[in-house]
Amino acid sequence: MPPQGAWRRVASRVTIPLTDSAAPPPVPEQGLDVWFTGNRSALFWLALKSGFWTVLTLGFYRFWMKTRLRRWYWSAIRPGGHPLEYVGDPWEKLLGFFIAVVVLTFYIGIVNLVLMFVSFSVFQSSFVGYLASFAGVIPVWFYAQYRARRYVLARTRWRGVRFGLAAGAWGYAWRALMHWSITILSLGILWPRMTFWLEKYKTDRTRFGSARLHQGGDWRMLYRAAVPFGAGVLLLGLLALWMAVLDPLIPAGGMSWDAVSDEAGAAITYGFVPQGWSGPGRILLVFPVLMLMIYGIIHYRFVTKRILANHKTADGIYLRSNLKGLRISMIYVLGTTIAYTILAAGIAMVIGTALGVLGPLAFLEAQPGDGDLFGAVPRWLSFAVIAVMYLGVFLLWGVLHHTFVTFPLMRHMAITLDIGNVAALATVSQRARDAFAEAEGFAEALDLGAAI
Amino acid sequence: MSVPPELPSFAANLAGVLFDGDRPVPQAVDLRLDHGAGVLDITQPAGGGETLRWPLDEIRRLPDSAAREGAVLRWTGDPLARLQVEDRRILSALPHPARRAPPKGRGRLAAWAVAAVAAVVLQIGVLIPLLADRLSGFVPPEGERALGEATFEQIRQALAGSGLPPLPTCDAPAGRAALDKMLLALGQDNGAGASARVYVLDHEMVNAFALPGGYVVFFRGMIDAAEGPNEIAAVMAHEIGHVENRDPTRHALRSAGSIGILGLLFGDFAGGAAVLFLTERLISARYSQGAESGADGFAYTALEEAGVSPAALGDMFERLRDRYGDAQGITAHFLSHPTLTSRIARARAAARPDAKYGDILSDVDWTALKSICD
Repeated sequence: MPPQGAWRRVASRVTIPLTDSAAPPPVPEQGLDVWFTGNRSALFWLALKSGFWTVLTLGFYRFWMKTRLRRWYWSAIRPGGHPLEYVGDPWEKLLGFFIAVVVLTFYIGIVNLVLMFVSFSVFQSSFVGYLASFAGVIPVWFYAQYRARRYVLARTRWRGVRFGLAAGAWGYAWRALMHWSITILSLGILWPRMTFWLEKYKTDRTRFGSARLHQGGDWRMLYRAAVPFGAGVLLLGLLALWMAVLDPLIPAGGMSWDAVSDEAGAAITYGFVPQGWSGPGRILLVFPVLMLMIYGIIHYRFVTKRILANHKTADGIYLRSNLKGLRISMIYVLGTTIAYTILAAGIAMVIGTALGVLGPLAFLEAQPGDGDLFGAVPRWLSFAVIAVMYLGVFLLWGVLHHTFVTFPLMRHMAITLDIGNVAALATVSQRARDAFAEAEGFAEALDLGAAI
Repeated sequence: MSVPPELPSFAANLAGVLFDGDRPVPQAVDLRLDHGAGVLDITQPAGGGETLRWPLDEIRRLPDSAAREGAVLRWTGDPLARLQVEDRRILSALPHPARRAPPKGRGRLAAWAVAAVAAVVLQIGVLIPLLADRLSGFVPPEGERALGEATFEQIRQALAGSGLPPLPTCDAPAGRAALDKMLLALGQDNGAGASARVYVLDHEMVNAFALPGGYVVFFRGMIDAAEGPNEIAAVMAHEIGHVENRDPTRHALRSAGSIGILGLLFGDFAGGAAVLFLTERLISARYSQGAESGADGFAYTALEEAGVSPAALGDMFERLRDRYGDAQGITAHFLSHPTLTSRIARARAAARPDAKYGDILSDVDWTALKSICD
């Protein structure tokens, strides 16, 4: 099809002066805004409906739920007005889950049991065993995280062209372990270094069709995002210095720690101020500082995304993010507050009902031994009621989390993003399909895919 | 069929955007419905390019779209090309816009499903219990003892409530002496090498349990509820049965292995924790009901040898049943113990009808035991 080919060739070389006046004019677009369509109520009903089926099928529908929600979110994000497309298949997720169960069952079952045996025999406690079995899962966890990302990218298309992520899950796992170790050893000071290098590892292996993404920049640029959190830590330190050394809250006088903590406990319980404390009102200053630190954490998490996005390129195409740290923190805090308030109220209601129908002794008698937790026949019914309520509360929590947290966060991140130099897109072509039998099964089995 | 089917008619040709599935470049196209041939003609307005002809009955619409307007269409014959239209009227011309692709790879899926179920059943039902039974024999006694002591401290602390000293054990000397006599009568050495150590906790719960390392723990409520020393001896013999069979250690090892596996199955869907708890309880119950029957069997023999009627265990269970009721129907499967009614019947059947049984303690000792917490 020669004419079509010629049309494309022109589009890819916008800067070359055109001598042929018959050729179509160069594509005028230089940048693309990312749009976001879709309203909250539609998402609410989709999440509620699919969540309901998930509960009803004891969790099996979750593969369909996840697929449908992803399809919805992806189709809402529209760079240049053209939606992303999620082509993942719930059946392949189910297959991947089965594969992961077969592999992990043997690993986790036998390893946990042997670790527990060693823990009993050598350390005389079960704690070491649990700790070791947790530590043993961490590398698998990172591995699964990378594999899940590869699956999702391999099933994402825009303008009909596939994204992709090159193989390298074990490389990611050991790098993540190294970076975490360095971060912990440096007391968190080198956290931006970890954020940058792990993101660079993933970005540099990401493809859009034939185009390779590249993460530019330097890890030190991420310290800007850590400023609010750093300020919070600094203020907390100053506050501690003020109350402990410069103008001690508790007069120095050889009081033991026990006496001090007893006094503090009494102060909290009975709401009086122990005699001899100087300026106890200063303790209240801790709360705004803690708020600042919480803000700092959210600010860091999202503003690093902006900075990193602004240094991402792919064959001359670049990204520009204009994400607002304060706004996204507002969304995050408000949304999670709504979702968790409902969750807490719901759990209180379930416990209240349980106490009401079963009596307060039911919980004590669940101890090992001869006391029977499940008694006469009517109790069976009350358990059913409580179980339905319990599942309902968690279902509602998930739905609200989608509606009030994931949706507005995605919308803000999408509409503050735009793509530059899109003329270079004409040089991009399709990439081969990534078959990927186990899909995101490992992440699913290890409970990593909590978001979407 | 004298009236032709009503078909959507367009004043002008529809416009759309085509993505050819190779390059991420939108191509503005004109769309024309050819009802006669049952196809959608897709042409480039500039006149260039070949005309694509998508059969109407093979055009599908992408599901679960967030958009309130427009739609994205695909043709089953081309897995990559996409056609984005703004006008939804075209959808009414498509006979099967939502038909799903025929299933493929179902055999493979079924095979892996069977493999997954088999792996879990094999692990939880066979391998882990077997390994737990074997390994429990290799846990050094001092390790087991330290583990039991730590757990005992935790239970005492938990029952006392936070901020309070741990629940005291009852150690009135005459009462302790009565307990030791009872242990001796049940064939347990009470010297330094004793495998079982008996404690009484000052709490009104009617209960007793065994912990790793030979800890047998009674609550005061159980001694108060008993109507004679033989009933306490029967419970003690039952708990010693657990100690002899190393049930607490086996149980701890087994649940460490199987809870991790169950955690895999019920991912992060809403309320997975509750299902996890119930399933673990069900599996645990299957396993520990066997252990309970084993301990009951041990108790019958020990009581018989001490000259006490095994029916005493049934008497104690009857008190529990009167107090707490018994499980029936489905709930019985979730219990760590067989139903009380069946255990009462078994204990009474274990007593020989023609035998003459005595009491394990004298009246004086029984009175002393009853006031062990005073």
